[in-house]
Amino acid sequence: MEEYQYVVLKKELFNDFIVRLAGIKKLIAPIAKGYNNFAYEEVRSGEQIALKYIPTILPAKKYFMPRNETLLEFSTGKKSNVEAFIEYESLTLFGLHTCDIAGIQCLNMALSERPKDYNYLARKNFITIIGLECNEYCDEFASCHLVNASFPSGGYDLLFTDAGEYFIVHINTESGEEIVNITEIFNKAESLHLNELTKIRENKRKVFSNEVPIERRHIPELFDRSFRSNVWKEIGERCLSCGNCTNVCPTCYCFDIRDELELDMKHGRRYRVWDSCQLEPFAKVAGGFNFRKERFVRQRHRYYRKFRYPVDKFSRFFCTGCGRCTRTCMANISLKETLNQLVKESEDRVWKRWL
Amino acid sequence: MKKPKIAFFDFACCEGCQLQVANMGEGVLDVLAAFDVVEWREVMSEKWDKKYDVAIIEGSITDNHAVKRIKKIRKKTDILLAYGSCATIGGVNGMKNNFELDDIRKYVYGESYKFFPTEITKAVHQVVKVDYFVNGCPVYIPEFVTVLKAVLQGIPYYVPDYAVCVECKLNENVCMYAKGITCLGPLTRAGCNSWCINNGNICYGCRGMVSNPNEKSAQDILAKYNIPIELIMNKMNMYNKCREIV
Repeated sequence: MEEYQYVVLKKELFNDFIVRLAGIKKLIAPIAKGYNNFAYEEVRSGEQIALKYIPTILPAKKYFMPRNETLLEFSTGKKSNVEAFIEYESLTLFGLHTCDIAGIQCLNMALSERPKDYNYLARKNFITIIGLECNEYCDEFASCHLVNASFPSGGYDLLFTDAGEYFIVHINTESGEEIVNITEIFNKAESLHLNELTKIRENKRKVFSNEVPIERRHIPELFDRSFRSNVWKEIGERCLSCGNCTNVCPTCYCFDIRDELELDMKHGRRYRVWDSCQLEPFAKVAGGFNFRKERFVRQRHRYYRKFRYPVDKFSRFFCTGCGRCTRTCMANISLKETLNQLVKESEDRVWKRWL
Repeated sequence: MKKPKIAFFDFACCEGCQLQVANMGEGVLDVLAAFDVVEWREVMSEKWDKKYDVAIIEGSITDNHAVKRIKKIRKKTDILLAYGSCATIGGVNGMKNNFELDDIRKYVYGESYKFFPTEITKAVHQVVKVDYFVNGCPVYIPEFVTVLKAVLQGIPYYVPDYAVCVECKLNENVCMYAKGITCLGPLTRAGCNSWCINNGNICYGCRGMVSNPNEKSAQDILAKYNIPIELIMNKMNMYNKCREIV
């Protein structure tokens, strides 16, 4: 912790800061939608922002991979022509919790793999991320500590930590520093501020603890043992296959690509839309065969895509513990509960072997 | 390429879906540029007694005259497009199937009911082969245009076989169940971009049910929200009674 990496913003100047920030480029922040629902939307002033919020309906990925994105425009006929497209917008995202920042980090890894997703990678260069640290749990559905996302670990340009009367702000990148310079509203951090930050973090270590009784490093092994578990069957019986869990997941990036012609049949565009492995037609192939026809197979696949497969590929979980999938599930399929059941079942098996 | 000849026909319906096309605004010019409209009672006087390439059918089939007429149209057209809830799933006319046919005739026509033969309400595909389905009450115009493009290209159009919740979630609507309101989105086929919920209304199930709904779980969820199953069945049957016809 070096003093020069930190600045301080007084709370009474927060609104001024947001107004200035919105003057630099389009500003996105969490707003309240009622019924304890929140969403990232464009804001112009500080009062619009919900500083205390539970994870938004959709995560910030909607700005990194729009749900309907043009990839190509083409014309048919003798002089057919194809033009590749990258749609982007210059944005500042304010108020991302560490779980959502972790989500972007996951997407960065997955979409930088070859073949690279140039549309995503180009777009992300135009997005500035300002994080907002959680000093306590948002609600009982979060499991951010289990997946190592409860404390900040990079992935942002600036990070705000609420210290009561003021925010302590960590400057992590050059574009973060630029914002500090342009807005001219921050004060230099002094050692008392940094001591306060240390105190906040120490307190957080007491507040946050593993939400599921298992050590992080044992999770891949747990999943190796659990592929044939009855837990999946039970979840499958409850699942409505509405796809909510994947659509709201900050690390789900599956998509479908479609071509659409204009009515004149001369021009058209190729676009991509979000898709979900939970939907009935997702794994349906030519001839009508569906290689993930049963709901439990689809749900199991989702969990392995979060806790097992990415560990081999990217050495990290693709769950950020935000709790969105649990909150949004009408059938009450809970991520924490599923992991708890797997742990319990696995322990029972170990005991049985001994007895 | 010669413009395909297209004709609109209505059976038991309110003709509101055709009105959606008439109300398209500038978009209708693109449709007229791509198709040659030869018959459309709601907006023009001309009739066409020869063959057509595409017949757009609004309305459900509710008596023997309609059966004969739809079979005749089927013979005269290459492509038949069922259009709107009444045509695609039977729609509100299906509520007739809740009653004995004689009872319903007496209720409507009184003593002279015998002069008015009727049949159970059917969706168009329950009588003749249908090539394209445009669901909804009324149809969602962007989807209708997509289907017309598929017709022009000679490729199939697949109505999304997943719940309205998918599109609703992507539109970041607050879930109706979170507001304590019953909504048929979880069981109803998507494709309308959650049109009703975006505008503060609930989903009435006008696009028909997904092909493989998880009925047991749906019942458990209703129990969780203290919603009687009869209420949901009533709501569902408002549009979907004809699904019971095998």
